[in-house]
Amino acid sequence: MQNLVTVTNLVKTYGTAPNEVHALCGASLEIRAGEVLVLMGPSGSGKTTLISILGGILTATSGSVQIAGREIVGLPEKELPKIRKDLFGFIFQGFNLFPALTAQENVAIMCKLKGVKNPNAAAKELLESVGLGSKLRSYPSDLSGGQKQRVAIARALAGDPQIILADEPTAALDSVSGRNVLEIMSGLARNRNRAVVIVTHDPRVLEYCDRIIHIEDGRVGHEEVRNNLEAVA
Amino acid sequence: MNILAWKNLLHDRVRLVVTLTGIVFALVLIAVQFGMFLGFLDTSANIVEHNTADLWISAPGIPHVNGGSPIAESKRWKAMQVPGVANAVSFTLFFLNWKLPNGAFESCQIAGFDLDSGMGAPWDIVAGNIEDLRGEDTVFVDDLYKKKLGVTKIGDTLELNSKRARVVGFTHGIRSFTTAPYVFTSFKNAQTYMRLRESETVFILVRTKPGADLQQVKAGLLAAVPGVEVFTRQEMLSRTQNYWVFGTGAGTTTLMGAILGLLVGIVVVAQTIYAATIDHLKEFGTLKAMGATNGQIYQVIILQSILAAVMGYALGISIALFVVNSTTNTDLLIKLPWQVAIGIFGLTLFMCMSASLLSIRKATTIDPAMVFRG
Repeated sequence: MQNLVTVTNLVKTYGTAPNEVHALCGASLEIRAGEVLVLMGPSGSGKTTLISILGGILTATSGSVQIAGREIVGLPEKELPKIRKDLFGFIFQGFNLFPALTAQENVAIMCKLKGVKNPNAAAKELLESVGLGSKLRSYPSDLSGGQKQRVAIARALAGDPQIILADEPTAALDSVSGRNVLEIMSGLARNRNRAVVIVTHDPRVLEYCDRIIHIEDGRVGHEEVRNNLEAVA
Repeated sequence: MNILAWKNLLHDRVRLVVTLTGIVFALVLIAVQFGMFLGFLDTSANIVEHNTADLWISAPGIPHVNGGSPIAESKRWKAMQVPGVANAVSFTLFFLNWKLPNGAFESCQIAGFDLDSGMGAPWDIVAGNIEDLRGEDTVFVDDLYKKKLGVTKIGDTLELNSKRARVVGFTHGIRSFTTAPYVFTSFKNAQTYMRLRESETVFILVRTKPGADLQQVKAGLLAAVPGVEVFTRQEMLSRTQNYWVFGTGAGTTTLMGAILGLLVGIVVVAQTIYAATIDHLKEFGTLKAMGATNGQIYQVIILQSILAAVMGYALGISIALFVVNSTTNTDLLIKLPWQVAIGIFGLTLFMCMSASLLSIRKATTIDPAMVFRG
């Protein structure tokens, strides 16, 4: 299985001495295409900081993050939006849909941002792929939590990014909706060979993942291999 | 991205109403206050503006056109001999008492003009024939002041400075800046009403020959006619406007009102547009996290403010026009020429866009990592 992301000795420090806080203290890991990787750990362990740096949203203090062979640590601030746009799809705990836009418009705006041709048609196709073909004109306020998260998944898939970063995607969902969302996400990895990275506390996620990396005190702790990752590899 | 600007604006109806109310309030305030200021400028010196004379000869040191005092009419003959003068006629403008049918008195200003030259004649005549003013005791009044002067129709007879005055015609819209309306009559009748001697006038109006140099003629008049002051039309206009509009404080107050309207407008619009942007801060954070550039965020915010400006302007200018039209038949003139209407559109765009620029900084300095903090 191909390494898509290589993180080496990543450090992130907030503030200055003597009040500095070390959110990440030399974290190293690899993310592979076609896998569902779960980052687990207690609150404050550095999971969100790690996913933010991986996604080019936050800059690291030191270390290296190579995505498809390209180093992103140390890139000028103005180059980061393009990295985020071209390589990543984001899924958030709070969905972060635009309330004024319909489901189709929410996805289409991202397709347009990513330069997808015929964004409305692409958005329709993506929503159909997550089972929301009948909700194209619905506003987020008219959708259930599970449906909102599926719209968010469709939006994350706009432009067909190589890596999906999801922050607690099932935290706000009931068990049925949560499983439904996880099935879609693991399908992305299996069927479309995308890397799916999930930050979560939710034990329901574990049965859908290939690897679990435990983050403790800003460091990569032990790693568990689940499912048939070795066979896939 | 344009759809986000449009739908963000329309989605929350309450927010939209609040935003538009702020813009409309500011705009109507500015349009009406500035329109009143323009109206003051117009009414304060309309008697000069509509007069076709090129030069005005008066007693020295008059503060404004309504403050003239008698001079010898014989000076007119001296004026006629100055090179470049085509015609010189007598004209009066003076405050007199008008007796109402119930015995009360109202102040008015009598404008006595030369019927042959037409210099100083009334304009916008809506009833009657100007030639009827050749008859004795005949006057024209403005129909906006019918009630004030106790006049109902042509043929009504009242008293002007204790002498009979028969209404033979009406004008429409010749407003007075003071509370004393204009009453037009022939110069000869005016002399009688004012109890001037036959040898006296208040002004001598001069029309120059085609191609004559106005300043040269003015200098010639000053040299040839002793004991007078000579004004070009523009000089008399400015002196009168400055006195009434700025000297009395009325215009300054109105202009200050317009400026305050502008400041209040900027604050109200800034506050509403700023609040509208802050309400969508999380969405802008999401856009940034997903790869939108600051330029794309600017585009959404500025477009949102332009749309709000256009909608607010359409509503605000309609209300302002309604207010302007509703004063058509009153003695208050509010002017809203198309140039001002266009200027106000530019101002509305400026207000909304500057307000949005205040919030742009807030929106573009958002830490995109906020999206992972729920």
